[in-house]
Amino acid sequence: MSSARPSAPHRRRTAVRAGVVVLAATSLAACSSTGPATTDRTGIIIGRAMDVNSLDISRSLCDTCQIYNSAVYETVVRATPDGELEPLLAESWEANEDSTQFTFEIDPDAVFADGSAVEAKDVAWSWLRVQNLQGLPSYFMQGITGVEATGDRTVVVTSAAPNSAFLNIASASYMGVVNSDVAAENGATADADAASSDTAEQWFLENSAGSGQYVLDSYSEGSEIVLSANDSYWGEEPNFSSVTIKEVTDASAQLQQLQQGDIDLAMQISFDSLDQIESDSSLTTDVVPSYNFLYLALSPGVAGGEALQDVRVRDAIRMGIDYDTVIDATLAGNGERQSTGIPNGFEGSEGLPIPDFDPDGARALLAEAGYPDGLTLDATYPTFSAYGVNSNTEMQSIQQSLAQVGVTLNLAPVDFSTWGEQIDSTGYPVTAIYFAPDHPDTVQYFQYFSLIDGSVWAGRARMPVSPEENDLVAAALAQSGDERTATYTELGQLMYDDAIILPIVNPSYILASSADLQGNNYDITRNLDLTRLSFTD
Amino acid sequence: MLRFTLRRLALIPLLLWGIVTIAFFLSRSVSSNPLVTIVGERNLGNPDVVAAATRRWGLDKSLAEQYWVYLTNLVRGDLGTSFRTKSPVLDDLGARLPATLELAFTALVIAVVLGTVGGVIAARTQGRVADGVLRVAALAGSSLPVFWVGLVFLFVFYATLGIAPSPGRLSARVIPPPDVTGFYTVDSLLAGDWPLFTDAFAHLLMPAFIMSLALLGTVIRLVRSQMLEEQGADYVRTARAKGMARGQVLNRHVLKNAITPVVTLIGVSVGLLIMGAVLIETIFSWNGIGTYAVESSRGLDFPAITGVCLVGGVLFLLGNLLTDIAYATIDPRVRLS
Repeated sequence: MSSARPSAPHRRRTAVRAGVVVLAATSLAACSSTGPATTDRTGIIIGRAMDVNSLDISRSLCDTCQIYNSAVYETVVRATPDGELEPLLAESWEANEDSTQFTFEIDPDAVFADGSAVEAKDVAWSWLRVQNLQGLPSYFMQGITGVEATGDRTVVVTSAAPNSAFLNIASASYMGVVNSDVAAENGATADADAASSDTAEQWFLENSAGSGQYVLDSYSEGSEIVLSANDSYWGEEPNFSSVTIKEVTDASAQLQQLQQGDIDLAMQISFDSLDQIESDSSLTTDVVPSYNFLYLALSPGVAGGEALQDVRVRDAIRMGIDYDTVIDATLAGNGERQSTGIPNGFEGSEGLPIPDFDPDGARALLAEAGYPDGLTLDATYPTFSAYGVNSNTEMQSIQQSLAQVGVTLNLAPVDFSTWGEQIDSTGYPVTAIYFAPDHPDTVQYFQYFSLIDGSVWAGRARMPVSPEENDLVAAALAQSGDERTATYTELGQLMYDDAIILPIVNPSYILASSADLQGNNYDITRNLDLTRLSFTD
Repeated sequence: MLRFTLRRLALIPLLLWGIVTIAFFLSRSVSSNPLVTIVGERNLGNPDVVAAATRRWGLDKSLAEQYWVYLTNLVRGDLGTSFRTKSPVLDDLGARLPATLELAFTALVIAVVLGTVGGVIAARTQGRVADGVLRVAALAGSSLPVFWVGLVFLFVFYATLGIAPSPGRLSARVIPPPDVTGFYTVDSLLAGDWPLFTDAFAHLLMPAFIMSLALLGTVIRLVRSQMLEEQGADYVRTARAKGMARGQVLNRHVLKNAITPVVTLIGVSVGLLIMGAVLIETIFSWNGIGTYAVESSRGLDFPAITGVCLVGGVLFLLGNLLTDIAYATIDPRVRLS
């Protein structure tokens, strides 16, 4: 029996059919595969919308950077959850009587990931680099006139004026210590011209040079940061073999991936999903206070803000906001009202007046100020979603409540870069934005929000500097203990009276993770403290 | 054809210069400030930081100077450094383009294969139930918003039923293959890792299918209408009169003629698929050029925006050139001149 060779069309049909079968088989195999090689469960995967602006610690300033910096680098001191300072790289430290000189003794056991000792020169080099790069965290070194390694283990920091906040500032994750020899070999410098001569930023995207529990394994922008355990770590052994911070931009996607076990911890879960998480036995959740806040800023000195030059009008606006309704609308009620630019829980915030919704009082104040029929203001604000709050929802809710007292807000949402183009040039009479702390000292809020020399919002609001506030900030930085707390509170009251910064809400924070993860936390300097996290057995 | 191809290739640099120039000046014409991305809102009021950043990123130079610097660097193959990622734009694009190409290529294959098969079935069953179902499906594919379909598919197949893999190119804790082509499916096969290939392929299927929907619907309708039009042609009647079976006429002659316009459609669609990957990449956490374009635009990352436009331009121009060549190869009536 002879077999005929198939015709060309027949061969083509056969090939097409075979292709379809292979495709189908592959698809089925893909769906039913036993799975590829994976890393084991000793590594943790954290889902969050990343906001990395640099992995060069001395140039970075972002929430994700806080997690990364504190995992890979170490500061001389660290802030405990109670706000106390405890040793990290420095085994001891002291300040002189007027807080103009600080001396740190470096722990002789401390070593970098390459095994070399952490020395005083590394600390001095790292801090001078922060200062001279003139990068985002350079204001931490404001007023510092000298950083010197006076021995292998001793660092002396000198400030032009008393600066009792410096010890708290030194605990900020951006003040971590870099292995200066390794970094210098790769283009980093701490010289005075570092802003133009330092070329190491790209090197830091692929390498780390710290003494922390983890080292940078890989970074894929927009995708993930992978850290692996530092085998040479000189302190307590890390709890994870690896840490992956995975880009999951959307809150609902974070929830889905947490429920499916694709991430172990989700950092930006929406309050709308809280019931869903609480009813899922495979997950654990907690709602804790945060130090973040969203605020309305009034600028009496800019065109269109003339009515705001009368403090009674500013007070009336504060009284005309129905805070509870706004908090319900934006965070399903999961937030607190806040007095002024000092977040609840920070030193000096206790005892400050909390704003109340008082429409009658607001209307009376407006009439007294010459606006019995109300007034109209333009409110231009960036569109954002921060700490669970959508700026459009927030501003629409504020618009509705102010309308009840006769204040008409013309809302104009713009993108962030457009807002940034105008805020420091022509300015906006009314705007809305948010703030999160960089370090545990209250002084950052006066430097940013009060009416002192160099304050960002004194400039934006075009308000004259208040000599009283200037003097009080200087006095507080020369004080300590209860005396300083009292001065901070006094300053807080003055900021409240200025009525330039009107906090709208201090949002709560959802800690959400798989049930077998313990120690989930919100940390003031680290954002998420990895040392407190671990899998249960 | 060789002369035609060479002439078209010679024109490409000129066209790219035009694209780069328009992208350069258009992106800088908006009244927004890239320093917000570079120094952040908190440092906008810090003159030292703002001055250092302005110098470092060349924003202190006049627009003409910036343009000249960009062009001279471009000639050397340097697309600048991204304000946002702090990496060379060429590296950023090189890292992301394979992910997008893998997705777009798979979507294209799905659209062409399923679209052609669907179009043929619809034509052969004209007026019957199968034709109606396919026409409705084609209309739905072309009309439904991709982001909505993506979210619904994720909710149903991933979050609810748990039968689809998580968003992203690989499952959680899976180690990517050694980087050769940047296509995870190809690289995993090159590494001989079948389980890794199936994982990568499973992650590719759903986003690629959703990405293909608009093109799939168009291909079904195009093939169907072309088939029906060709069926009335004289050569079909002649072939049938000579005793050729209807199926043979359709498959051997009608289909070949009907599919020619699909080639044009593919050429136009390659660029559109790649540059339109924005929504799918965002929904499926696919770290490709679409998400890069979005983030760059949002942050006014001038070098990155211009770089993305340049890559888009290259893909469009090459796509069109290949389409013309393919068209001439398939259809002898077309003369390239």
